[in-house]
Amino acid sequence: METLCPCWVGEHPAEPKPDRVIYLVRGEKKTRSPLSQLYFCRYCSELRSLECVSHEVDSHYCPSCLENMPSAEAKLKKNRCANCFDCPCCMHTLSTRATNIPAPMPDDPTKTTMKKAYYLACGFCRWTSRDVGMADKSVASGGWQEPENPHTQRINKLIEYYQQLAQRERQERDRKKMARRRQCMPMAFSQHTIHVVEKYGLGTRLQRQRAGAPLSSLAGLTLKEGEDQKEIIIEPAQALDEVEPLPEDCYTRPINLPEVTTLRQRLLQPDFQPSGASQLHPKHKHLLMKRSLRCRKCEHNLSKPEFNPTSIKFKIQLVAVSYIPEVRIMSIPNLRYMKESQVLLTLTNPVENLTHVTLVACEEGDPEDVNSTAKVMVPTKELVLAGKDAAADYDELAEPQDFQDDPDVVAFRKSNKIGFFIKVVPQKEGDTDVLVSFKIRHDFRNLAAPIRPNEEAGDATTEAIWLTHHVELSLGPLAP
Amino acid sequence: SFTMTDKQNIQKSVKIAAGAVVCVESEIRGDVTIGPRTVVHPKARIIAEAGPIVIGEGNLIEEQALIINSYPENITPDSEGVEPKTMTIGINNVFEVGCVSQALKIGDNNVIESKADVGRNVILTSGCIIGAFCQVNTCEVIPDNTVLYGSGCLRRVQTERPQPQTLQLDFLMKILPNYHHLKKTVKASQNPS
Repeated sequence: METLCPCWVGEHPAEPKPDRVIYLVRGEKKTRSPLSQLYFCRYCSELRSLECVSHEVDSHYCPSCLENMPSAEAKLKKNRCANCFDCPCCMHTLSTRATNIPAPMPDDPTKTTMKKAYYLACGFCRWTSRDVGMADKSVASGGWQEPENPHTQRINKLIEYYQQLAQRERQERDRKKMARRRQCMPMAFSQHTIHVVEKYGLGTRLQRQRAGAPLSSLAGLTLKEGEDQKEIIIEPAQALDEVEPLPEDCYTRPINLPEVTTLRQRLLQPDFQPSGASQLHPKHKHLLMKRSLRCRKCEHNLSKPEFNPTSIKFKIQLVAVSYIPEVRIMSIPNLRYMKESQVLLTLTNPVENLTHVTLVACEEGDPEDVNSTAKVMVPTKELVLAGKDAAADYDELAEPQDFQDDPDVVAFRKSNKIGFFIKVVPQKEGDTDVLVSFKIRHDFRNLAAPIRPNEEAGDATTEAIWLTHHVELSLGPLAP
Repeated sequence: SFTMTDKQNIQKSVKIAAGAVVCVESEIRGDVTIGPRTVVHPKARIIAEAGPIVIGEGNLIEEQALIINSYPENITPDSEGVEPKTMTIGINNVFEVGCVSQALKIGDNNVIESKADVGRNVILTSGCIIGAFCQVNTCEVIPDNTVLYGSGCLRRVQTERPQPQTLQLDFLMKILPNYHHLKKTVKASQNPS
């Protein structure tokens, strides 16, 4: 759904936007997204969206120095890089600059020699570490410290206490579960899946279902067998009656606007939340993470990136665009209420073998067809798409395959793509977009499944299964 | 003998002080005075339409920068009563690549970054930095040491002014003459009273 700002005056743009064509994902929650944002589980032979897969953290890395960090170390450093800093003013990456300052030589105090002094500077907003009063350091990296939070001790103690509490609660829960289930773990409780979100961030591994075994956690809080559990006692927080009064000139003092920090600058430093810009200290850069996606039904990986932060490739990349034929809108004529118009669509075949596609209009009372505002007549004959041939661009002598297309249905054909017509009759008047939907049925060869040896020797082709997808197209508003 | 047109022509010409490096590919039109140690890159444009431009020492005007003293929008060039206003630019300023400056008064040690656009009614004092692509078309005096940055032209105040680009100027004054022809030095003529 798109809404235009009321001040926007002009013609509606004619270029097709990415969410004009959306596919329905039949997961636990029925989501509709463009094919480019969907994944395809080739073991279940179903479309998956980001909402019906489980997300797992693969690795952490710093976006500026591209340093990899194992998850345990990342947790210790609170997901921050050790070397890189963010500008507290504009949140860009700070760079280290050097100046030469005269300094007395260690041997002879009367003579001076040029020594290098380093300071942090932002290339975007020209903030420097000298603005906050941080002295220049003599080493290029490692000399910069974040200011200590005065409440660190109390916070750490509270965290310890609550972690112990969470551990005890989980042990109780485990004991109850084990009492009920004597058999082996059911299939769903594999080592990889995260079913139980642990409280207070103790760790992300599922606890082992052995009675009495110590719970392993990433932060190294493992209790060794036999070690006494130390009781941690915390003092409750005390409410004070008296509060520091406001300064007397609170209402009369003129505001120095450049000195006031913005909310964003203030909240990015939750420890201090300074109101003055001269107290904004740089913070270490936040780490980013690479995530892998896993189908919730069959537990296979759908997307697994490379471990190296400098590489953008994937080890496993089961995206929907490489398996499902994609429908795209090519041209839309002027649509008029209750008048039939022809819309030109294209269908692209992403796989290397020949694909047969049949389009079926949605029936009356189809539960998946909720949004359409127009009637659509799709081609009744089966459309054949040639396989994707990577060398087709270079092979000029290749004979074009003869498919005997019906010119009323197929407008053009180009390697693995065809253009075809559908007829649209808008049923609703007014400003709403014209939406049509239909089902697309195609044959899919599952190359992941093992090839079963057939009785007839020599026939080693994989069997094709037929998949049906529900596609919705947004054709824009009616012509004025 | 000296005719009136001769005098006017001399006054409207470009005066380049000794020690300035002005490449011949730059376009300088109108009554422009350029101080010593200023470097004008090729393809820079300094156009004095509606009045003279006086540029001080040690300035760095990079490629495709446009410094223009133009007529305000609602005044046609031929209308009467329009006094030519002089645009003054101080010392040690930097006009980065592609910037447009129409400000009538620019102080010292300012930096106008790439593709920034400074309007006619802005007055830059000292140490101001107009960030890249920032369009400043307000009617105000920008206080000392102010930095404008970001798409919303956010502001903050620096504690120290930007350093004068002496190293860069020295380098350019040595290297540019090796690759470009320079405009000849023209001394400012004395006005016969």
